[in-house]
Amino acid sequence: MKALGLLTASLVLAGALPAQQVKWNFDKLAARASDTVDVSLSGSLLQFAVKFLSDTDKDQAKVKKLVGGLKGIYVKTFEFKKPGEYSAADVESFRAPLHPPEWERIVGVHSTEDGENVEVYIKSDAKGIGGLAIIATEPKELTLVNIVGAIDLDALSELGGQFGIPEGLEVDKKK
Amino acid sequence: MAPLEDELRSALRRREPSPDFTERVLARVAAQLVRRQPRVSQPWVRWVAGIAAALLLSAGGLEYRHYRGEQAKDQLLLAVRIAGSKLNKAQRKVQMVTHRSNS
Repeated sequence: MKALGLLTASLVLAGALPAQQVKWNFDKLAARASDTVDVSLSGSLLQFAVKFLSDTDKDQAKVKKLVGGLKGIYVKTFEFKKPGEYSAADVESFRAPLHPPEWERIVGVHSTEDGENVEVYIKSDAKGIGGLAIIATEPKELTLVNIVGAIDLDALSELGGQFGIPEGLEVDKKK
Repeated sequence: MAPLEDELRSALRRREPSPDFTERVLARVAAQLVRRQPRVSQPWVRWVAGIAAALLLSAGGLEYRHYRGEQAKDQLLLAVRIAGSKLNKAQRKVQMVTHRSNS
């Protein structure tokens, strides 16, 4: 009886727990990177930012619609002065928390031509996609994205070539 | 003894004030009275001052809130742009490979 109560409590707690961001450790890379972009928008801050998006600006209105129901967006980009500043083991450490059955890799693109690799992981829940993680590596750049909450992948991809940036060009970097 | 008496006499000699002495004294007294007037302490003045201070504080708070909101918005747009571009890149590469294998 006691065990049943404990199990019920655990299940209730598990249901009540909010969707969480992926735990990645960036300490080693941060020390080696020459430039870093760090965006961390969780819960209330994200919804606060959404309120400042314009309804009249076409792109911002799309973003508003896309991220309105999200619980968090976390982006980290490391840029290095020369290739080889990060190792395969570093990348593997970022893959480690993205394991099945919680996470599923839906795309893995490896290019020997330009050395660009992109891996896309999704977290499924009862309602569909409950989270997204992207590991993108280039010889001198490593980007990690974690979106918590239901996200429309096509709409997000569509926004990738917008904001006045032609497709194929690199995004801005903040030092 | 005589020089001392002379000095005293000279020092204590009656001197007539200047013609505008009375006017100057009265003017100075009036000025001091104006300066010493008690502050207006009617309740409505305190209310107005309080409301003005509250309005100033709220305006400052709103301004700061707007600044933080704009900053968060910029971060959000940057995050969506980076995430979208990486996803877009993966999608295009998959399409390219699919196109190659189909043709």
